[in-house]
Amino acid sequence: MKRVWVSMVIALSATMFMMWQSGAFAEKAKDPAPATVKVEQKAETVSAGTTPTISIDKTSLSNGGTIAVTGTAPAGKPVYLEVWSDDKVRVSRFDADVDKTTGKRPYILYMTEQMPAYYKIFMPKDKKEALAGIKKEGKNWSVSKALKDLGADIAYSTPAKAKVDRYQATLMGSVIGSRGDLLTQMDEKENRQRSMQLIKARFRSPDKILSADVEVNPDGTFKAALNIREGLAPGKYSIVAVVDKGVQSQPVSFENKIVFPVMYLSNAGTSLNIVWPFLLCLGISIFGVLMGAGGGFILNPILVSLWPLPHTVVAGTVMPTVLFSQASGIYNYSKIKFISWKLGTAIGLAMLVGGFIGPKLTELITLDQFKFVFGWILLILAALMFWQTTPGYISKNKKEQAILKEFKKKAEEAAKAKEK
Amino acid sequence: MIVEFWGHEFKVNILIGCLGGFLIAIVSSMFGFGGGPFMTPLLAVGLGLPMYLVVGSSLLAIFFNTMMGTMRHYQFGNFDLTFFLIMFPAAILGGFIAPQIAKRVSPLVVKRVAVAGLVILSLNLLGLY
Repeated sequence: MKRVWVSMVIALSATMFMMWQSGAFAEKAKDPAPATVKVEQKAETVSAGTTPTISIDKTSLSNGGTIAVTGTAPAGKPVYLEVWSDDKVRVSRFDADVDKTTGKRPYILYMTEQMPAYYKIFMPKDKKEALAGIKKEGKNWSVSKALKDLGADIAYSTPAKAKVDRYQATLMGSVIGSRGDLLTQMDEKENRQRSMQLIKARFRSPDKILSADVEVNPDGTFKAALNIREGLAPGKYSIVAVVDKGVQSQPVSFENKIVFPVMYLSNAGTSLNIVWPFLLCLGISIFGVLMGAGGGFILNPILVSLWPLPHTVVAGTVMPTVLFSQASGIYNYSKIKFISWKLGTAIGLAMLVGGFIGPKLTELITLDQFKFVFGWILLILAALMFWQTTPGYISKNKKEQAILKEFKKKAEEAAKAKEK
Repeated sequence: MIVEFWGHEFKVNILIGCLGGFLIAIVSSMFGFGGGPFMTPLLAVGLGLPMYLVVGSSLLAIFFNTMMGTMRHYQFGNFDLTFFLIMFPAAILGGFIAPQIAKRVSPLVVKRVAVAGLVILSLNLLGLY
């Protein structure tokens, strides 16, 4: 048992050292208080007659639903409804694309803690075709271009106020696992621009943040049935009607409620019925034990494919679930002295360094890259497993397993004898 | 490096072991899985060590990686407590149920099913089907 503690102490102190090196402790201390970028509201200057009004038919929803919005606006103006949740999530995006003007790669990590967990702009119905055109662009669509083309940029204001931090990533910084240097805060215009890229990083597809549902009559009255989807954050949601830059109604708000077994994952910004991930995890961990590999391989890609969960949260949450099963395995082996502490710790220290770097890289890649690399990892794993079912391997393995059993038996007997 | 285990001495090329372990650790902590199915072949085939030495020692090595990866993910705010509390009991329960079933199914069949499943899943992830 003594050796268990020795290797634990080595592992822990190395961890601490590396964290200290990367400035993790210092970073926490000077963590700036969340500030909000101020966006000038010009609504006051507009006379009361032209200000749109808005009302809704109910003030609470149960895990999504349809909400009917009616209101009045100046005649002949398009009406955009901006809807957002009070609940905020963290989003990050790593910019490594070649800059068109300088021809260099910026390697800047943009991150905000204040992205609304839900955000959508409902547009006049006549924008339907234009929206369909944007959907056709596929994965390379741009939020700022879409908003401009659809005229919806006048309604885009809540996420623009989210304070976006940027970090200059360096190769060395990535190696020691730091996010890089925090750069000076961007001005209002650039903050707005960058927040649009973060909108895409969070919501991925155009129909998540844009839809053409508002029926505007020639006399200026409008109505819309807003379909609020399932699986969103609980809490307060606000709606404003916008007809022009700065010309907007007072916000109205409604409450989204969720009941058990639907639960909200605050870090992921998604609520889901917990029965399904529970069953999925159960099934896969059983299968994982049977095939002699952890379930994480299969679990992670399925989780990111089935639910709108960020890959960073999936990776960061699945990993600790195996900690305890590994620890109990080590404990069982250590009881019968079936571990080479020297070999395990030596390679373990190398893995400790790797484990220090890896999680940093997760936030530098997009979900699509995550899936792509995972696809290749699984192919390699499949090849490894296939090789383990070939006759040559099986006959060799049989001998190995026999020796393994024999040694294990010896070890168990020795451990028992010692107890007596 | 020379490792002594149950009366036998093994010469281990620790450089390859550490380099391989390092790379496996980066990938596995980046994508959030354990790394066992890669570590075992690395030690058994890459370093030519016998299975009875590999099973326990590779588990210990992986544990270092999982512990560090967990701390780092937590530090970067990637850990979701609710989500963890959903999956953790399922993983523990699975660990209890699996050995009960294990006696009744052939590991070979499980592995073949796993190969088929992994290929389908990876083709799906690569967008090929």
